[in-house]
Amino acid sequence: MSATPFDEMHNADGSIRDPYLILEEWLKDQPPQALGLMSADAESLFRRLGITFAVYGSNEGTEKLIPFDIIPRIISALEWRRLSKGIEQRVRALNAFLYDIYHRQEILKAGRVPEKLILNNSAFCPEMMGLDPARGVYSHIIGVDIVRTGPDDFYVLEDNLRTPSGVSYMLENREAMLQLAPELFQRYKVAPVETYPETLRRTMESVAPGGIHGAPNLVVLTPGIYNSAYFEHSFLADQMGAMLCEGQDLFVEGGKVFMRTTTGPERVDVIYRRIDDDFLDPLTFRPDSMLGVPGLFDAYRAGNVTLVNAPGTGIADDKAVYVYVPEIIEFYLGEKALLKNVPTYNCTNADERAYVLEHLEELVVKEVHGSGGYGMLVGPASTKAQREEFRKKILARPDNYIVQPTLALSTCPTFVDRGIAPRHVDLRPYVLVGDDVRITPGGLTRVALKKGSLVVNSSQGGGTKDTWVLED
Amino acid sequence: MLGRTAQNLFWLSRYIERAENMARMFEVGYRMSLTSRREGGASEHLISMMQAAEVDEGFDAKYKLADVKSVADYMIFDEANPSSVKSCLLAARTNARSVRTALTTEMWESINAAWLEFAAIRPRDISGAKLQELLFWIKQVSHRYRGALLSTFLRDDGYAFSQLGNFVERADNTARILDMKYYVLLPRATMVGGEVDIAQWTMILRAASAHRSYRHVYHDRYKAWNIADYLILRPEMPRSLAFCVDWINRTVHMLEDIYGTRTGAHDAVDAVAELLEGNSVDRIFEYGLHEFLTEFINCNNRITDALAESYNFY
Amino acid sequence: MQIAIRHRLSLAIGTGIARAVQHLLLTPRTGPTQTVREWSIDMPGFEAAASFVDAFGNRAHLVSQTRPEAELTIAVAGIVDTIDRNGVIGRLPGDIPPALYRRPTALTKPVGAITGRFRTVPKDGQDRIALLHALMARVSEVVGNGEQGQEQDGQGQAKAARPPAADFAHAFIGAARALEIPARYVTGYVLADDGPATFHAWAEAWDDGLGWIGFDPGLAVCPTDRHVRVAVGLDAVSTIPVRSVPVVGEPLVLAMSVEAAQ
Repeated sequence: MSATPFDEMHNADGSIRDPYLILEEWLKDQPPQALGLMSADAESLFRRLGITFAVYGSNEGTEKLIPFDIIPRIISALEWRRLSKGIEQRVRALNAFLYDIYHRQEILKAGRVPEKLILNNSAFCPEMMGLDPARGVYSHIIGVDIVRTGPDDFYVLEDNLRTPSGVSYMLENREAMLQLAPELFQRYKVAPVETYPETLRRTMESVAPGGIHGAPNLVVLTPGIYNSAYFEHSFLADQMGAMLCEGQDLFVEGGKVFMRTTTGPERVDVIYRRIDDDFLDPLTFRPDSMLGVPGLFDAYRAGNVTLVNAPGTGIADDKAVYVYVPEIIEFYLGEKALLKNVPTYNCTNADERAYVLEHLEELVVKEVHGSGGYGMLVGPASTKAQREEFRKKILARPDNYIVQPTLALSTCPTFVDRGIAPRHVDLRPYVLVGDDVRITPGGLTRVALKKGSLVVNSSQGGGTKDTWVLED
Repeated sequence: MLGRTAQNLFWLSRYIERAENMARMFEVGYRMSLTSRREGGASEHLISMMQAAEVDEGFDAKYKLADVKSVADYMIFDEANPSSVKSCLLAARTNARSVRTALTTEMWESINAAWLEFAAIRPRDISGAKLQELLFWIKQVSHRYRGALLSTFLRDDGYAFSQLGNFVERADNTARILDMKYYVLLPRATMVGGEVDIAQWTMILRAASAHRSYRHVYHDRYKAWNIADYLILRPEMPRSLAFCVDWINRTVHMLEDIYGTRTGAHDAVDAVAELLEGNSVDRIFEYGLHEFLTEFINCNNRITDALAESYNFY
Repeated sequence: MQIAIRHRLSLAIGTGIARAVQHLLLTPRTGPTQTVREWSIDMPGFEAAASFVDAFGNRAHLVSQTRPEAELTIAVAGIVDTIDRNGVIGRLPGDIPPALYRRPTALTKPVGAITGRFRTVPKDGQDRIALLHALMARVSEVVGNGEQGQEQDGQGQAKAARPPAADFAHAFIGAARALEIPARYVTGYVLADDGPATFHAWAEAWDDGLGWIGFDPGLAVCPTDRHVRVAVGLDAVSTIPVRSVPVVGEPLVLAMSVEAAQ
């Protein structure tokens, strides 16, 4: 990994990379104030539409806007073909893995993944044992976090198989770009992302339980308006024509799920739930949950409703399991992994731990169950005190952390206070798995707006960009 | 439609209507306090207006002195006052967020923009002309929302629940304004109103935005009998009880057409309609204006309960 | 032996409740040690209940009521034929991998006073059965005498009554899992020699040769033809016979009889 990060717009000699040629011309043609005005327009557009998110830990009800950068990130058709092949391989293997560990557990018997790592893991859901989800699919909606370090170097940073969020930003960012820079779309052939809600609908319909007459009834189950991703829940429900329900809107009777409508109960067949496993059903999981639907899991178990995604999928995106994904791909598909994993140090191994503790300054430490950039140490950007704190943490609970080298994330031109400057980006493409695996060409590009920063999470000062996949 | 969605739409409209009514009530008290020449008169007008708006008790618990600033604080900006404009707009937006997908973009944007704008106002910047401007703006918010609703909303059950919320709230508001001041409308020995009466009558009419249209309808000076007639029975007056009940009635029949069934809500609406049907001001005065209004308010409240029961609000 | 069971429970739901749901694990399945001849559950909403097999292979029911009475009565009755196999259940088709039963749970934390002496004992092949019997004896002794080691001292108030069967089962399971032996929690009915019948709990441990073997540390015996297995799971929480939302307190046993049939 080189010291100067790979820039997606420029070659090392300063010339423009092919996909960005037209954009570069367009940028040059813009009058000095134009980008600033466009940026302001985009912001007021998003605010009016109510595209906000709540920041954990800040005052309740505080709504923030994720900054939107008006310079798109562009991926060539060739690059995308390679990426999407690798992603498809990964999600097929991970779904096969989920099926296996909730059935015969062959991969554990074969010793390819340590038994304890799975069976003693809090993300493993024993209640799912032996359950046969429709089409054998556990994780229907997946977001794969990918970073790029060179022209041909893509790494998977993380798989999100529980309830990946952000897809509404992918869709709204495209809407914004279409409004702000329509002329660019005339010059570029950008693959559409607008098909996502319809594809999601088809995916959900394809996993409806058997024995339904007519079109299955689909709903989105949200924790409610105070959830940080509420906008996305309502947006998706609206876009695919599904009812947006809270737990109180649903009930279970005679082993089936119904919603309470103005004209009485109406049967529900497929639930895209955006409520965490623990809160899904107080009868089976946390009894104090006010968000869930009592009896929902039993109705699922009895085969009367489909949950999208299935409970217990978190075991497949557990950070400790991540290390084994290449192994998992080989075991189920008999293929080598097409996308690379980031090399990861195992702190329970004494030699590796010693290395880690020596080199904290260069490494990234992640809590196994942490998310959203919390509980994380980015070595090069850390203070001595922070490193000392993590040294103690690692020594106390070595199994609770994974450690990776600091990747030189690629940069993209980004509109900042002083004009256009390179900023680090990652990419989260969205995958839908039902009767087929469908990857939306594009995804959410997150950008670290602070100069030099590698943390792209919106909760930590990250922004987003529209992501263009070019068609041939 | 989810029962909760129907409930949210109903209350969303109620809160928007209530925000408007609060602004109008405050405006009345404010204007009267400005024109008062007597010592302590300004404060009396404000207090009297707060009684009509039924926020006087909450105010007394919190403030010692009723002046324009304290009353504006309480009625417009105070989140602890559940009827303040701020509380109403926030409740409206919260309901709107819950039913985001059931609203048109225009309806959502009118509410969302209103809340964002309102939340950015610093109360201490609001005085004098700014205050008048703000009151005007609040009324505009309500008009914009209703405009968006009327011109963009599908005429389905969601529309019906929205309209029901609007007119149940408005009927309640008009009835309460009348009830708080009913004694100044009662026929007395002298049929000519004194100075105090005229002031109170003006207040009632202004609170219902009826002081100008009154002239168009009656071509007469303010008279108690006319005012009661105007606000209770006149079908063309958009804030009269008769007008509201007519809308409520038509709207529940729309629901009957859509759903194909009559419910307890229809009985509750019939009960309110009966109070007005074929009634006259003379008979109402004979029956007792206060008694009549009390009965009306109770019957009107029962509509909300019956809707909740019949259409699975929860 | 033929055993007749009657079990009546009362469940407080609370007043003015719109809807209630219950998850029942009250139905025994036919297996190597028992044949269920008759079994019935009578309670409001049971006709429409969803019946399914849960993650641990138990027959479960999801029952629901609209506007239920403040209290529900659940009446269970049935007849089961049993045979004595010295506690050996063996392997059942569709059983989940035994390794899963090494998963630690909050209720099955190992107790040092029990596991300590077994750490170095051989536990494979023929030795495992001996080890498990010794473990059962040790659990009986330690839990029975209330000397559960320092971990449990916080709750160790002087109590004359014998600890509940769940304590013995959990202690046994915790110890077995600490020794890397899969062990699971079993609920069921026991034909008692004397005293009132209770809803009982014991344990089963895994042996690669024999499969699942029952151990009842509460009674210090291996289950016999006097035991009727109802449900298995990781611990008492995953085998609760009646879960309900909403619920007020614990279900109350109104009557129970477990008798040798005529």
